[in-house]
Amino acid sequence: MNRFPLLLTAIFLALPLQAQEDEFQTVITPAFSPVTWERLVNAEDEPENWMMYSGTLDSQRYSRLDQINTGNVTELEMKWSYQIPVIDRAETVPTVVDGIMFITEAPSNLTAVDARTGRVYWRYDHELPEDLRICCGRNNRGVAILGETLFMSTLDAHLVAIDARTGNVLWDVEVADYEAGYSKTAAPLIVKDKVVTGIAGGEFGIRGFIDAYDPVTGELEWRTYAIPGPGEPGNDSWSGDSWKTGGAATWITGSYDPDLNLIYWGTGNPGPDWNGDVRLGDNLYSDSALALNGDTGEIAWHFQFTPHDVHDYDSIQVPILADIEYQGSTRKVMMWANRNAFFYTIDRETGEFLEGEAYASQTWAQGLDPNGRPIRVPGMAPTYEGILVSPPIVGATNWYSPGYSQQTGLFYVTSFDGEQEFFKRDEDYEEGERFTGGGGRYNQPMDAFHSSIRAINPATAEIEWEFPIMPRSSAGITTTAGGIVFTGSADGYFFALDAASGEELWHISLGARVHAAPMTFAIDGQQFVTIASGNVVYTFGLKDN
Amino acid sequence: MGNLTTRLGRLANVALSGLFLATSGSLAEDAGNLYNTNFDINAGLRYFERQCSRCHGIDAKGNDETGAPDLTGRLTRASSEVGIFNIIRTGISGTAMLPVASDLPDAQVWQLVAYIGSLSTDPANIDLSGSVTNGANLFTNKGDCSSCHMIDGHGGRQGPDLSRVGERRSPEELLSDMLNPHADVAPRWWTIRVTDKNGLVREGLRMNEDSFSVRIIDDDANLWSYPKNQIASLERVEASTMPSYTQTLSDSEVDDLVAYLFSLRKEN
Repeated sequence: MNRFPLLLTAIFLALPLQAQEDEFQTVITPAFSPVTWERLVNAEDEPENWMMYSGTLDSQRYSRLDQINTGNVTELEMKWSYQIPVIDRAETVPTVVDGIMFITEAPSNLTAVDARTGRVYWRYDHELPEDLRICCGRNNRGVAILGETLFMSTLDAHLVAIDARTGNVLWDVEVADYEAGYSKTAAPLIVKDKVVTGIAGGEFGIRGFIDAYDPVTGELEWRTYAIPGPGEPGNDSWSGDSWKTGGAATWITGSYDPDLNLIYWGTGNPGPDWNGDVRLGDNLYSDSALALNGDTGEIAWHFQFTPHDVHDYDSIQVPILADIEYQGSTRKVMMWANRNAFFYTIDRETGEFLEGEAYASQTWAQGLDPNGRPIRVPGMAPTYEGILVSPPIVGATNWYSPGYSQQTGLFYVTSFDGEQEFFKRDEDYEEGERFTGGGGRYNQPMDAFHSSIRAINPATAEIEWEFPIMPRSSAGITTTAGGIVFTGSADGYFFALDAASGEELWHISLGARVHAAPMTFAIDGQQFVTIASGNVVYTFGLKDN
Repeated sequence: MGNLTTRLGRLANVALSGLFLATSGSLAEDAGNLYNTNFDINAGLRYFERQCSRCHGIDAKGNDETGAPDLTGRLTRASSEVGIFNIIRTGISGTAMLPVASDLPDAQVWQLVAYIGSLSTDPANIDLSGSVTNGANLFTNKGDCSSCHMIDGHGGRQGPDLSRVGERRSPEELLSDMLNPHADVAPRWWTIRVTDKNGLVREGLRMNEDSFSVRIIDDDANLWSYPKNQIASLERVEASTMPSYTQTLSDSEVDDLVAYLFSLRKEN
């Protein structure tokens, strides 16, 4: 019985080394090579890989892959699925580098699998304390990679560096104190030689910030607070000491423009969410887009979408950067469909407001003034008795990624036309306790509201088409050079729309809620598209002929 | 007080061994809630609004999106105050129900238990004027309710099963359901009218609808499933198919039906 393996070994030893490698190349994935900053800057040029949360630094989620296209998308079939062993909600966008896929899992774990088969290389389980302070579920949305190191946020507000080849921990640093209500769920963003990362905890009276860490040592390089301290411009936009507990969390991944050396990052609601009486003023820089210097973190400009927010309209959306034709010239813009139901096109060099319109149902503002500041409808703030306002707390959209297609020039967003009764409550701040000052209540069943995927022209802020879905979805969007918009729905579908017309091309029932964004990659010339649904990560490709 | 501490210490131990023990009758006899005054209920309400309402809703009626259940009727995971205490203390593993902060004093957990208890009505404390026997008779005969509603496996399929309706609807709500059935219609009981590409129309109750398909049950209890991209049109009627009983039953007969329906619980 023992002779046979020995015989095989003997044959392998007899073969020249190169011949062995050639033989293996037909069965194993391509060799994993380090991810340099140059590769990340030019990520668009290697569409076979998906090397960061939003695909590219401009966060368009547009892939040049076109093997799967409007003509053959109906030929998609499932290639493999990976069952996440911890039962919870999967909000992960996997990263793929050279045939290896990195999947983050609830609560704060990470697995590397063969992207061709879904079979596991290694797994990292992050040990968590039992008394986490988290507002909205045990989620993790993805990793960043630089060199051969993965960077992951964890629910206990740590940042962990993990060896991409083995899953070994290289370093693990505390970003903030979880017992004071801080937590982390978003994928970090690599900016040159730094790991840039935000923080969650806007329902716990934290003070939000954006940090940059040394990827080798884990040392903090700079921290920019999303709420200015005493003596800094904007601190006087908070009454009394309210800035200390003002929230403005930074809980989704931002974008970066290498030419302008600016990082773009959204900020969340001021705290307490629904009682603005204790924090009079505009509450800078809550509900804003911040443009930060890529080396120092210094704020170059800010744009506040919702001054003195009392409805929890976080500006926690992924900023999409593109150069578009606008009024006869090419403009470097940032596109943003906000939770407050308005879509904005902003000059990303200066922060100048260019266009803005409501893209979903809303009753809180009459419109935007010439500077993009909302003109409020009086009397729409939450009350002790409750007042009906649209959009509801979950917003017209939320954290889930929008997309942009370079083919159509359109911006795509998952949108919700809903309304809710908003309540105000009096609350005192206590460290580590919720600090929200109210809440909300739906007066109708979810199925009575309208949800859709909407395509918006960023030059005019007009809606070009919409595709109705139900009920409210929290799935993100990915576009491809195959003319496709891929997304999912809360009722468990994964589907493809024609990016130009919004026409349905293909759908499959995966049976569980899609809370994640799709991503696409290729191995040996074959394109795949991956989506998490429920607790499972599914990968599709065209049928083999 | 020492006695209470011992009891709570024991509770904490059994909590770890799971809900089977936690909800058993003997434990419920072991420890009652000493924090159940109006003051405690209000303190529990304040804590609930702050810590629990994000998922369970500010009115504690639950949230389909978060999967947090309605806490205002019969609770499915706990049948006693001790059971509720243990869930709050230890969370429910594998769900989004997390434990409260470990340093939260037991007294405050009990206040929360008192508040949750105050949301549901103990049927023993409700004295209804109607006759349960008459109501049962009306249900199958004059009211003709059983042609659409099932109770314990008998009756029609065109309305909700009412075998345990007393656990989820208060007498006031039951009264409103009968006199004003269109006021609050759950999407399951909307009517869907489907026209196929040949012009054939089929109508039925909306069993389920999603982004790409719809399933209905017609008057003959046939089940139909339609892909939305293969039909000509779909019309939704967000009203109830149930008639109002304002004209057909007297006030006292309606009271009898309310008494009967409210008596329909698991124990019966």
